[in-house]
Amino acid sequence: MRALAVVSMLAWRNLWRNHRRTIVMVSAITIAVWAMIFMTALMRGMVNDMIRDGIRALPGHVQVHHPDFRDDPSINNLIPMSDAALTAAFSRSDLDGWSSRVKVPAIISSERESRGVTLIGVDPELEQSIEGIGSNVAEGRNLEDVNDGGVIIGRKLAEKLDTELGKRVVLMSQDPDNEIADRGYRVVGLFEANLELQEEIFVFAGKATLQKMLGIENQVTEVAVLAADYRDVSDETEQVRALMNGDVEVLPWQELNNYLGSMLKVMDGFVLVWMIVVFLALSFGLVNTLVMAVFERVREIGLMLALGMRPASILGQIIVESILLLIIGLILGNTLAWASVVPLQDGIDISAVAQGMEMFGASSILYPELTLDDIVLANVVVLVLGFFASLSPAWRASRYEPIEAITKV
Amino acid sequence: MKRFFVGAITLLVCLTAGADTGIRDAKDIVRDAINHWRGTSSQGEMTMTIHRPDWERSMSMETWTQGEKRSLIRVTAPPKDRGNGTLMDDNNMWSFSPKINRVIKVPSSMMGQSWMGSDFSNKDISRADDIVDQYDHTLLSESQVDDHIAYEIQSIPHEEAAVVWGKEVLVVRNDNVLIEHRFYDQDNELVKTLRTLEIGEMGGRTVALHQRMEKVDTSDEWTEIIVDSVEFDVELSDNVFTLSNLRNPRD
Amino acid sequence: MNIILRLAWRNLWRQPRRTWLTVGAMVFSNALLVFMISIQFSTYELMIDNTLQAFTGHIQVQAPGYKDDLKMRQVVPDVIELASSLRRELGTETIAARAAAFALASSEERSYGLQIYGVETQFESFVSTIPGLVRDGRYLKDQDAAEIVIGKVLARNLRVSLGDEVTLLGSGRDGSFAAAIATVVGIFDSGVPDIDRSIAEVPLGFFDDVFYMEGAGHQIVITAPDLISVDPLKMQTEALVPASLAVHDWDALQPSLKQAIQADLGSAFFMYGVLVILVAFSVLNTQLMSVLERTHEFGITMSLGIAPGRLGRLVFLETAMMGLLGLVLGALIGGVVTVWFGYTGFSYPGMEEMAVNFNLPSRFYPQASILTLFLGPTIVFVGGMFAAIYPALRLHWLHPVEAMRAAP
Repeated sequence: MRALAVVSMLAWRNLWRNHRRTIVMVSAITIAVWAMIFMTALMRGMVNDMIRDGIRALPGHVQVHHPDFRDDPSINNLIPMSDAALTAAFSRSDLDGWSSRVKVPAIISSERESRGVTLIGVDPELEQSIEGIGSNVAEGRNLEDVNDGGVIIGRKLAEKLDTELGKRVVLMSQDPDNEIADRGYRVVGLFEANLELQEEIFVFAGKATLQKMLGIENQVTEVAVLAADYRDVSDETEQVRALMNGDVEVLPWQELNNYLGSMLKVMDGFVLVWMIVVFLALSFGLVNTLVMAVFERVREIGLMLALGMRPASILGQIIVESILLLIIGLILGNTLAWASVVPLQDGIDISAVAQGMEMFGASSILYPELTLDDIVLANVVVLVLGFFASLSPAWRASRYEPIEAITKV
Repeated sequence: MKRFFVGAITLLVCLTAGADTGIRDAKDIVRDAINHWRGTSSQGEMTMTIHRPDWERSMSMETWTQGEKRSLIRVTAPPKDRGNGTLMDDNNMWSFSPKINRVIKVPSSMMGQSWMGSDFSNKDISRADDIVDQYDHTLLSESQVDDHIAYEIQSIPHEEAAVVWGKEVLVVRNDNVLIEHRFYDQDNELVKTLRTLEIGEMGGRTVALHQRMEKVDTSDEWTEIIVDSVEFDVELSDNVFTLSNLRNPRD
Repeated sequence: MNIILRLAWRNLWRQPRRTWLTVGAMVFSNALLVFMISIQFSTYELMIDNTLQAFTGHIQVQAPGYKDDLKMRQVVPDVIELASSLRRELGTETIAARAAAFALASSEERSYGLQIYGVETQFESFVSTIPGLVRDGRYLKDQDAAEIVIGKVLARNLRVSLGDEVTLLGSGRDGSFAAAIATVVGIFDSGVPDIDRSIAEVPLGFFDDVFYMEGAGHQIVITAPDLISVDPLKMQTEALVPASLAVHDWDALQPSLKQAIQADLGSAFFMYGVLVILVAFSVLNTQLMSVLERTHEFGITMSLGIAPGRLGRLVFLETAMMGLLGLVLGALIGGVVTVWFGYTGFSYPGMEEMAVNFNLPSRFYPQASILTLFLGPTIVFVGGMFAAIYPALRLHWLHPVEAMRAAP
């Protein structure tokens, strides 16, 4: 114990003997750590937002459909179980959130324009529990219940249709017998979404009202379920499968949207690779510093060895020196990273490339997200790899022959 | 004395009763106007002209109607359009083209499209009688036009009606001829107008012979319909309004 | 000059381990940069090429306003003649005329709205990859035949296969009723569900007939051999078409593409910047140390009459030599790795799903070019030189007498 204390004290003092070099090295480590954490926070924020947006657009972490529905999202592919049976089954379960909905292609018309949209009949209470898009009503009000005679449309759609809150629009679709089914609805609310496309495509109405218009009482086309953690929804998927009767398809979000599903994996891999690369670039400097530090003190080390200090202590000294450097750099780097992320919490606006970001499925405002996992990873990578990097010079130092060392010029 | 009173009262009652049946409310006026135009059945010929800034097109058509729900229209000229037909029954619309020799049911996504390229939409053509029951009607004014009384009626669609208009205003003569039909958006701006340019006698009735549908925003684009001949209350068998007749004209 | 050079070189090798470590940092970064930049640029080119060559082309001639309004009326008159004369004047076959309409396609069982394109059957394959992606049946041949080629997803949704008839319903150029029946002669599979579901192609002559186009079309599509030739080609095209028509390049036709690349470049530059800075620190460290430990020596040199300016140049020279070494070795290693992957292909887990989204193959073969080989290393070199400024300045500020007092 005593030995450790001595070694540490020596190491600390040694660091500051050549303060210029130490400062340069610490700065490099600080920048490296900052870069690791900051970049990761940005990327994580972007990917998490993308995934959350994607899930909100689906919506839900798990969905149930008629097996043909995804290819042919028309009214002919209804879920075999009745809405009443679904409600009974799902409300008995302990799922975080669920909503049974009627989703059909429709045409929405205002006085001057028409557009093709996806019309969704919902129960607003259930819909809140799955945090779908329509629950973010920016202007006006949300639907009150399944019998509400109004619709919620996206702000962008209202613009394109040249209509506004309080006006009537006509929604036209087809019933299972191929007959026209249409009805006037008043626009009671406007919703906003991160991706403009979502605002243009989705229209929400009361479920019962829509069922009546389409003549499909007590039937739905889709059930969306919210799970506890989007990273792993396999339990909930199984649960939902057990609740369903009949020929249906139950899928988790990763399969509903392959692109999003792979994002998480790719991001985790990317983060690790980034950190290792940054550290490797740093390590050359680190080793260099240590080698130089050792070289300068050859005679001194030789003296200490000759006076009886064990080689292991020399090894320890160099390693501790290195670790101290790393720790100072880590502290400063973590602080700097935290200090640079916090002011950016409101998001970095990159709307200049908004359309490009939509292609990725990302919004044009980046919100950095610091996660404990990532911070820990960065610190661990730096410490562990730093430890290994310092082994070589430390080892060589401990191997010096005292006589040769003392007499080195 | 008593007999005089009874007689006078009876006469008074008859007169007032007669007067009551002479006064119609706005909804009746609208209904009569629509019925006048359709009658129990009709058969006729008309010419439709579509005018645009850079071209103009005319088509001749034969038309049959029965009741309020059924109608058949077949194009007779020009040759490139000859044989094209449209059959309507209640809310359903079918289209036939001899070029493809197929009857297609017009799906909801096409109902907003223009009918035959004109300023009328498929929906306009097939749903003309919706106006009676799906709106609330108010008489706005009465005025004198030539030797007729013209009623100006405001029709506001019911909350759930599948109608985009904020309101429609119809001007109907007391002999049930529709003089003007104006379509307003929900901010009360006029969007398009159907105007009757000529009224005359045909088939035993006074009808609008020449009508034009025009959008307010674009004055150089309009569609006109001229009635060449029409007969009312003709005997039409149910077979006329079938898909097979749409496809293979019997006459 | 010669002496200074030799001096610089020898100085480097006084501390071989230190020099190698610094050069090593440069080599590592350079190799990484070369590899990463090659992959990035190859990816961008691939992304652009694949997206554009799928259907859009690099340049299009259209009626003004058509791009945004997509109205049937906004036509390019005499489109076939114009395309043909462009082929002659520009001396390339990769030009094709098209007409487009929104129509309803119906089979026995179902109907779907989609975009119908009338194409020049001989030339379409030069501007679009769709003809080459026909898996079942064949592509269109006869300009006037009542034939249609549809995507795999559409075929499935309509429940049709080769030889079945599809009814087309829409509005012609003059608004009149357009209807036709076409036989399915080919089914294509692009792998992109959106394309496979909503695009159908018929011969241009047949389209003209059905939709009453009277010889007019909506687009003339031109593909260029590579991205660099797009601008000159566009200017030539503008000179050759009537002034009433608009000529758009792919940036205007698909703005999201360029922006996606810009966004990606932005983040990449941030990362590369970090690497360059770390290497610069390494150089700073090394050179600073090397200057400081030679203080005594420099003091003597200066008192013998050498100007401090010349000594400063020494530091830069040393840095430049290391930088050059790092550049050459890094470019070499990076280049070799790139070329090797160029042969065997490069892929990482999760790439497949991402690839589909961007029209990329799930395995690709990066190409090395002068740009990718030297862009990164050059920046590192410059960064290193910047890092040498401070040590050089310290040298400059040295007082000979004080310096000589330092330990040798």
